[in-house]
Amino acid sequence: MGKATGFLEFEREDSAALDPKTRIKGYEEFHRPLNEKERRRQGARCMDCGVPFCQSGMMLKGMTSGCPLNNLIPEWNDLIYTGNWELAYDRLKKTNSFPEFTSRVCPAPCEAACTCGLNGDPVTIKENEHAVIEKAYAEGLAAARPPRLRTGKKVAVIGSGPAGLAAADQLNKRGHSVTVFERSDRPGGLLMYGIPNMKLEKWVIDRKIGVMEEEGVCFVTGADVGKSCKADKLLKEYDRVILACGASNPRDLELPGRDALGIHFAVDFLKATTKSLLDSRLEDGSYISAKDKHVVVIGGGDTGNDCVGTSIRHGCASVTQLEMMPKLPDERSEDNTWPEWPRVLKTDYGQEEAIAVFGKDPRVYQTTVKEFVKDGEGKLVKVITVCLSPEKDQETGRNVMRPVEGSEKEIPADLVLIAAGFLGSQPYVADAFGVELDGRTNVATEGDSHQTNVERVFVAGDMRKGQSLVVWAIREGREVAKEVDQSLMGYTNLA
Amino acid sequence: MGLISPPPHHDIYSIEDLSQLIFDLKNSNTDARISVKLVSEAGVGTVAAGVAKAGAQVILISSFDGGTGAAPRNSIYNAGLPWELGVAEAHQTLIMNGLRDKVILETDGKLMTGRDVAVACMLGAEEFGFATAPLVTLGCVMMRVCNLDTCPVGIATQNPQLRKRFKGKPEYVINFMRFVAQELREYMAKLGVATVDELVGRTDLLKKKEGIVGSRARKVDLTNILGNPYVGEKLAGYRKKQVYDFELEKTVDERVLMKKLKSALSTGQKRSIAIDVSNVDRTLGTIFGAAITRAFPEGLKEDTFTVSCTGSGGQSFGAFIPGGLTLELIGDSNDYFGKGLSGGKLIVYPPTGVQFKAEENIIIGNVALYGATSGKAFINGVAGERFCVRNSGATAVVEGVGDHGCEYMTGGRVVILGPTGKNFAAGMSGGIAYVLDEGRDLYKRLNKSLVSFEEVTDKYDVQELKSMIWEHVAYTNSEKGKKILDHFGEYLPKFKKIMPHDYRRMMNTIIQMEEKGLSSEQAQIEAFYANIHQ
Repeated sequence: MGKATGFLEFEREDSAALDPKTRIKGYEEFHRPLNEKERRRQGARCMDCGVPFCQSGMMLKGMTSGCPLNNLIPEWNDLIYTGNWELAYDRLKKTNSFPEFTSRVCPAPCEAACTCGLNGDPVTIKENEHAVIEKAYAEGLAAARPPRLRTGKKVAVIGSGPAGLAAADQLNKRGHSVTVFERSDRPGGLLMYGIPNMKLEKWVIDRKIGVMEEEGVCFVTGADVGKSCKADKLLKEYDRVILACGASNPRDLELPGRDALGIHFAVDFLKATTKSLLDSRLEDGSYISAKDKHVVVIGGGDTGNDCVGTSIRHGCASVTQLEMMPKLPDERSEDNTWPEWPRVLKTDYGQEEAIAVFGKDPRVYQTTVKEFVKDGEGKLVKVITVCLSPEKDQETGRNVMRPVEGSEKEIPADLVLIAAGFLGSQPYVADAFGVELDGRTNVATEGDSHQTNVERVFVAGDMRKGQSLVVWAIREGREVAKEVDQSLMGYTNLA
Repeated sequence: MGLISPPPHHDIYSIEDLSQLIFDLKNSNTDARISVKLVSEAGVGTVAAGVAKAGAQVILISSFDGGTGAAPRNSIYNAGLPWELGVAEAHQTLIMNGLRDKVILETDGKLMTGRDVAVACMLGAEEFGFATAPLVTLGCVMMRVCNLDTCPVGIATQNPQLRKRFKGKPEYVINFMRFVAQELREYMAKLGVATVDELVGRTDLLKKKEGIVGSRARKVDLTNILGNPYVGEKLAGYRKKQVYDFELEKTVDERVLMKKLKSALSTGQKRSIAIDVSNVDRTLGTIFGAAITRAFPEGLKEDTFTVSCTGSGGQSFGAFIPGGLTLELIGDSNDYFGKGLSGGKLIVYPPTGVQFKAEENIIIGNVALYGATSGKAFINGVAGERFCVRNSGATAVVEGVGDHGCEYMTGGRVVILGPTGKNFAAGMSGGIAYVLDEGRDLYKRLNKSLVSFEEVTDKYDVQELKSMIWEHVAYTNSEKGKKILDHFGEYLPKFKKIMPHDYRRMMNTIIQMEEKGLSSEQAQIEAFYANIHQ
């Protein structure tokens, strides 16, 4: 929709980011949104495609293309263009439980699939969403709306990440009484402690949790189900239990010297910083500091980048990010056509900041760690890296990265952050309920169902699907809500 | 400027109307295969049988599934049926009525693969149309904005800025077609069939898929589609010898005009001829007109050939005649007078000495000048219904019209020196009509959704009106016309000028552009761009 000729008349305009050297002085979000007139122009760029891939949410060659939530993007783009903000919010909330989160942290597979991007720059879908939801809060449209009737059914949701919150929100709106259990001191899961404050300021989560509480959702923090909180008790007290504990089991590197002091998982590093920031604006000192340290981040993904950005804010002496895979091209390659996710080089905020501070890109490609070297006191002093080159595995036929002999190098390091992905869920919660896992330590379900092998126990999010995006988690949460509602009531009208 | 799309066929209300149209088209190009496109729907077999009897050589069964880029969404979703059903029904009904060998059965509507072609062929189709898939190979992303001139991949547009984005190559389409042919061959090889002709109507080679899941899909009953009782029938496909005979050698054109004017036709020499006609002489002047067009594609000087006819003209008198040919008719004429007029001139008036008043009596039938694109017509009497429907450029003077006059008109000038029927100017998006509104009640019968009316005051309009009436009188000796010219000052205030809103806006912009010093063509283009983005 939008304006028929909008894509020809207006250029894409992203919200301005603060200069890297300025923004690293704090931990706040650093984008300045466009004004209303400019934003409406960006809405006008939407083309009313006959076949809008942006809202399709497909997997193409193993990557997400289009919105997994099937957000009605062309509709609200048009409503932004015409200035119908209230209706735009209505259409947005129809499919998306948490636009305030996705509009900040989503990698925007919708924009990758936008038809406007076929021959130019895609529509600023993510920022348009941000404008709609923030306007809705500003004008009181997103205020609490408790359900008018209660069904008398009780549901326990274990885990308050995006999947758990989405399930809780949907079921509560339906009239069920929902209690969310969170093992940390603050609800939000990875949103709260996995994603740094500069990407998603934590008051945004508190704001939504506040609205949900007003609507009747109960949050219990510090409740580690399977440890401090007993599974049997939950099954007795609640009609249904939803497990949404994420895939929080980080992949480790079993290498010589792994026990050296100064090697941490990225999530622990990020969590500690955020917690200290929220508790005391980092004054309590109870976080893993990178100040004046030589930091090596292992892993070239988003979490790795978050570690780079955070280390720079701590005031590190240097930062290096190791990536196993080769450097991606600047433009789509021949076999990576639209609307597939573009496998192109993207320089994220942390890397931009590293370039600004240290004058060079922190990323080193086709390289991994071979050994950690510690001093007499067991403290890490350097890492020995090795180059990798792609090689076809004779058995599987897949390309694997093999070390190149004699390519070893040394990098001085006193802090190593492992951001090498996640293996699956931490099994103690599943074990407590007697729920079966599959080969990848995700909870096993039949096909697309969210029902576990244990009656009345359901599962959603990364815990079922494995490590994924926030949007997929929200979709999982909405889907499990539907299934739970169906099982409680015998029918469901949840979308 | 708006255009009613898709435009309705107000010349076809019955199978007889269609039969006449097929005959007219055959006259306009005697070498052409006349193809009739039918929507796949319940009962399409009966329609197809009628169309085959009416003389069509190709019947196209078009399904609901294609990608017409400009179609409204609700018609995409809610009109038509799959081609499988239509082809099966048409094929079997045609055989049942002994008509199958007269026509080629074609199908289209989202044919994508060799398998589609094989299935369509086994259900009875012999020719196959593709559009969406080849367009996609050229880069089409099915934006469904073909009508908006904003095609982002540069296909459905003339805008140079968008054309730059076009990435297609003819090779891509060739490649696609090769794949389709290859797949078809593979299926035929598996079935042991050597040629496509042998495959036509072989429903015995199709079977229902087993193990269908889904309660709705299981209920589908394919008995009438797969249980085709005519498998193995000899008449199961088109045979050239059985093609419909239009008996064109019996037309006035072949008998008289082509023979007598043949020598002049090669040189373009000025000639006149007088003949008698009767109402069995249908589509008079069309074959000869086509011969003129072939010999002189640029057209001839006005009145190069004049045929003066006396008697009662048949249907489609002067259909599609080009510039240089003038048909004068002393008498009257049937329906479709001047259908698709393409530059020629038509004059009709009653014989001298008649007792009735010409301006009060109907002289030509319904749907006169339907779809005319250029040329002139002067009618000394009243026309029937649907006068000048879809006229896009011809000039006509008439002394009264029935209902639905000037409907869907997009260009040209029409002067009506008498009363109109109801629903005048419905869907009219271009051109100008001047109506003599003596009873001052035109507003009751005018369809005002796209047009407005006003008195004729502009001096150029007055001039145009007056010269058209003057020409009318000169050709037909119209009593009414003379009276108006004699007392023009008295009659002028009774004339109403009917003009579409958008057309007026466009005309005004063109004039503004011309005043800036642009040539008339440049002014039109600039006006187009000035108005397009509003």
